Amino acid sequence: MTDLKKLYEAVVNGDAKAAHAITQQALAEGVDPLVLVNQHMIPAMDEVGRRFEASEYFVPELLIAARAMKSALDLIRPLLVARGDKPVGRVAIGTVKGDLHDIGKNLVASLLEGGGFEVIDLGVNVPPEKFIETVREKQANIVAMSALLTTTMPAMKTTIDALKQAGVRNQVKVLVGGAPITEKYAEEIGADGYSENAVGAVALAKKVVAA
Amino acid sequence: MNSRERVLAHLEGRPVDRLPLMPITMMFACAQIGARYRDYCCDYRVLAEGQIQTAGSFGFDYVNTMSDPAREAADCGARVEYFDSQPVALVEDDALLADKKRLATLKIPDPLGGGRMHNGIKAVALLKERVGREKIVEGWVEGPIAEGADLRGINTLMTDFFDDPAFVRDLFDFVVELELRFAREQVRAGADVIGVGDAAASLVGPQVYAEFVWPAEKRLVAGIQEMGAKVRLHICGNTRRILNGMGRLGCEIVDLDSLAPLAEARREMGPNQVLLGNLNPVTVLRNGTPEQVTGAVAQCHQDAGSRFIVGAGCEVPRDTPPENLRALCAYAHQHKP
Ligand code: B1M
Repeated sequence: MTDLKKLYEAVVNGDAKAAHAITQQALAEGVDPLVLVNQHMIPAMDEVGRRFEASEYFVPELLIAARAMKSALDLIRPLLVARGDKPVGRVAIGTVKGDLHDIGKNLVASLLEGGGFEVIDLGVNVPPEKFIETVREKQANIVAMSALLTTTMPAMKTTIDALKQAGVRNQVKVLVGGAPITEKYAEEIGADGYSENAVGAVALAKKVVAA
Repeated sequence: MNSRERVLAHLEGRPVDRLPLMPITMMFACAQIGARYRDYCCDYRVLAEGQIQTAGSFGFDYVNTMSDPAREAADCGARVEYFDSQPVALVEDDALLADKKRLATLKIPDPLGGGRMHNGIKAVALLKERVGREKIVEGWVEGPIAEGADLRGINTLMTDFFDDPAFVRDLFDFVVELELRFAREQVRAGADVIGVGDAAASLVGPQVYAEFVWPAEKRLVAGIQEMGAKVRLHICGNTRRILNGMGRLGCEIVDLDSLAPLAEARREMGPNQVLLGNLNPVTVLRNGTPEQVTGAVAQCHQDAGSRFIVGAGCEVPRDTPPENLRALCAYAHQHKP
């Protein structure tokens, strides 16, 4: 039997090759793919997030850990689809209009995928229309926005207003994050939730889809 | 003593009449003259006008040519995007060195070849001609990890440290050479100080910093000092874990962002390092009151001690209330080190 603790370690250490190999072996042995995700990979990313908050890990370590998780997910996702498991939700994520910062947004996107969401990454400098189009055409039920600049924070409100105007605000939960954003700001602009970091964003997304 | 004399004396540890004042303004300076930011980035005359007007009306001790991170990369052939009211930006999806093999054939562009670097050099020359006797003229180059990120794509570079250390070293060698050539022409054009902006350094931890970034920064700083210019190091973001290394670079000025406490920097860098900064540009300078600004800068002064230059943690935001910036400036104008 594969030692599944090694999967946890591979993700924490950002070893994509090992994560892939262990996952492959475990699946061949008949381990339930959801066990791999929920009992080993998600706890590993939680630990990575904790180390980041504690300044033991930095952005490079975060990115290689997320990559290791993805390399395992690449094997797992098709299996879940084949057996008819539905994604927890479908997220349209992007950095708002005028803003080109994407490191944080990319991390949030990776962790949401790890958490069982289908993620449609719209990239950076995303205009409100693009979010609306994705909600309409791809039936996204979460819109997640990132902003790193004080000058682009207002684009979150503009986007929420545009979702209302387009008549799709009720179909989606809107989540926001990024360094200058606060809980209070999220409330003011009528978002459904705010998370300070990427690990929290997954818990938040799960909470709002369950509500 | 005029502004230029004041800053130079302070850097040399000689007595000065009051604290030097060197906040970073880019979009704010552009807004002061009602110009488009696109033009501020692309036309050295607009930049010089914005700097001279702003430095004049607020009583800064210097002018500076920084506008956006993309001058060197654009001249190397990287795809950049121009906006009317925002800094020129790299198109990361289409990074010049998306294919690492391209580095082997990449040539360092001539800084005087009529490109964006040349424009920056002309800005230095014009500032020198118009206010260079009175004020410090500061040029600008990107640091090794910032420029490496511009050429390679920042998300990719972050993983290169683990995947291909040899490539990172080659990339940083290229970048240091590029930046030294750019710096040399700025010094020739009259820059007293060269600012080195290495924003992405705050994203890596102490090990990656010590192994890859510090040695490249050290070569860059030493090279600029050999040209006879002084160096102002600025790293945006949280640099608490790398303060010690930053101090050992031997820069004349270490300019800190608000996330790195000055008291901590003082402990890590010793009593002689000139520190610049670092009140929060957004929550205090832009969103606070003049009284809050005065309180915050007084605290910075206390934490940094006498080897201190007044400034904000990073760029003064475009829509900062002028009375708040005036409060920052007044502190420098009214206090001795
Ligand atoms: C549900 O949805 C959610 C939930 C959670 C979410 C979420 C969404 N999004 C994020 N989260 C959360 O989860 C993540 C993981 O825990 C976290 O994400 P973060 O994104 O916060 O954290 C990342 C993991 C790491 N952090 C980062 O990636 C940002 C790092 C710093 C150094 C930074 C970088 C790298 C860059 N920059 Co820029 N940059 C700075 C930053 C200073 C600093 N060190 O903080 C900051 C953000 N930049 C700033 C500025 C001013 C600028 N930048 C600019 C450009 C750039 C680069 C292109 C050079 C580069 C970005 C490259 C890229 N591809 O992302 C310019 C603007 C360009 C534009 N239009 O966007 C420019 C205007 C500079 C200029 N004059 O050229 C400052 C913003 C000031 C302000 N408050 O307005 C800044 C704080 C630096 C400073 N001290 O002044 C959480 O916030």
